[in-house]
Amino acid sequence: MSRLDSQDEFFIGYLGVPPHLKRFLLGFIPVLVLAALAFASILPPLHFDQSNLGKRTKVPEFEGLLVGQPSPHLLVPRTGDVGTGSDFSLYLLSGPGKTSPKPKVLEHVDKWVKLKGTPFHRNHLTVIATKSAEPMAAPTAGPTQPASSSLGEFSLKGEIVDGKCYPGVMKPGRTKTHRSCAIRCIAGGVPPVFVVHNQAGDKLYFLLSDLDGTAVNAKVLDLVADPVQITGEVIQYADTFVLKADPATYQLL
Amino acid sequence: MGVAYKAVQWNRQKFVYDLILLTTVVFYLFFFEGMSLQLSSDLDIKGIWIRAFGSAAFILLHVILSIGPLSRLSPKFLPLLYNRRHMGVTMFILALLHARDALAWYHDFGNLEPIVSLFVSNTHYADFIRFPFEALGGVALVILFLMAATSHDFWLTNLTAPVWKALHMGVYLAYGLLVGHVVLGALETNTHPFLTLAVGVGFVWIVGLHLITALREAKKDGAPLFGTPAQPQVDADGYVNVGSVHDIPENRAKIAVIAGERVAIFKYDGQISAISNVCQHQNGPLGEGKIVDGCITCPWHGYQYLPDSGISPPPFTEKIPTFNVKLQGDQILVSATPNLPGTPVVPAVIGQV
Repeated sequence: MSRLDSQDEFFIGYLGVPPHLKRFLLGFIPVLVLAALAFASILPPLHFDQSNLGKRTKVPEFEGLLVGQPSPHLLVPRTGDVGTGSDFSLYLLSGPGKTSPKPKVLEHVDKWVKLKGTPFHRNHLTVIATKSAEPMAAPTAGPTQPASSSLGEFSLKGEIVDGKCYPGVMKPGRTKTHRSCAIRCIAGGVPPVFVVHNQAGDKLYFLLSDLDGTAVNAKVLDLVADPVQITGEVIQYADTFVLKADPATYQLL
Repeated sequence: MGVAYKAVQWNRQKFVYDLILLTTVVFYLFFFEGMSLQLSSDLDIKGIWIRAFGSAAFILLHVILSIGPLSRLSPKFLPLLYNRRHMGVTMFILALLHARDALAWYHDFGNLEPIVSLFVSNTHYADFIRFPFEALGGVALVILFLMAATSHDFWLTNLTAPVWKALHMGVYLAYGLLVGHVVLGALETNTHPFLTLAVGVGFVWIVGLHLITALREAKKDGAPLFGTPAQPQVDADGYVNVGSVHDIPENRAKIAVIAGERVAIFKYDGQISAISNVCQHQNGPLGEGKIVDGCITCPWHGYQYLPDSGISPPPFTEKIPTFNVKLQGDQILVSATPNLPGTPVVPAVIGQV
């Protein structure tokens, strides 16, 4: 093959780049590369809700009352002076992956247990990815059941999330990109949670319950990750709220 | 050009091309992760890599789709086109890693097979805003897979260039699906104006660049962008006057549209030859090529043909149609009917009537 004519440059891949063209490429390609790399610096901070406070904690074992409805949860007595606060902390329970706690755990419902698992918490919402539970004797002192009282009927706007990803397993563990995952989680038995922002911008979390106090998981799958309005009875239960309503009346906004 | 199939016919340009490409991709991915880790100590690392792979693939797709029209507008961009298929395969691998991680993170460990979950978890296929954007990405990935899997010249030869080109035009369908995937997915969750702006500008750039290029090509052919082009006048002997020999620079060609097809008319060594404008390899525009070492050389990948027969020099075997050609004074007359590929044609000698 002959050398290329410098007066009439013509690029042939297997012969090399002519000088004028090389000069152009030495200017253009770095600009193209830097423009692409600029996106790697611009895009990460723009991502929605990825720096929230949700995190895994290192408490491996809990002692409390295992409750099955409306969603599996553990009621852990609070120690010390709780003042006017609740005597119990409520921790949601999931199993490994996108599932409810294993049958070997749930067979101890309504019993006091030593429960092992991995807790995640975001604000005042905690979920424990449960590994095992062993029965234990109920405490001899202090309350053995949390107080429960109706706060009346409310109409609330918010988003149904799965109670495992939202507290910190995934970020963001909500909205449309997470919808399918949340549907799999809730379909698999992870407690659904209704997230509401009050007028001050604080987050309020509600366990969802059917009118008969049972789980709503299978009935809310179509409404997960969308703006929803739920009207029902709000019950103060331990340190959290339960929103009791017929899922058929949930409204997509 | 090749007489035997090899995985990659490496040369220095391809090494440099791939080195720049892969280095940029690796830097992008780790830079993306590093910038993310600056934000918080409690991040969803798997989610970050899903976004890094996805955004890298989407940006690379914009680069890939820009190279074709840019090369039509200026031959300066042809070196980017030379090894574009490696860029395409790299983009597919990034998209595959994005899909693999998203499938494992968002759809596995549940009560359905992940691939089933991808398509049936969100069933609002009739709702625009709630549409399951994952399905759009899944279909696009299948198209990109078919393109990556058939990117080798083995498939180009066995499928034939027109079929191969038609299959690879699927990239535009994949792009449309991926714009939908991003708009109905990431942009619905991430409402930052920069992201919306960036995707919008990217879309306008790709569509605008292709429209500008199509208009320019139509103008060069003397044809309207839409509708039937004007037919050149064919004389009683079946020849078409395509202009003066003085219109063509030495060792270069003029492209004329005859019977709806582009014909490349080359001037070299005091002679004129006419061949199909379509390279047998990837249908590159031979008329924008040059005579190098006595051979018409395609500007895309350097495939070569002898101007008086349309046959690649031995040991290569490619063949393209030729056209009979004659001169009337300085006017070039080209037969309106092509000869079979590889048919030898006596060149018209300039100055000899």
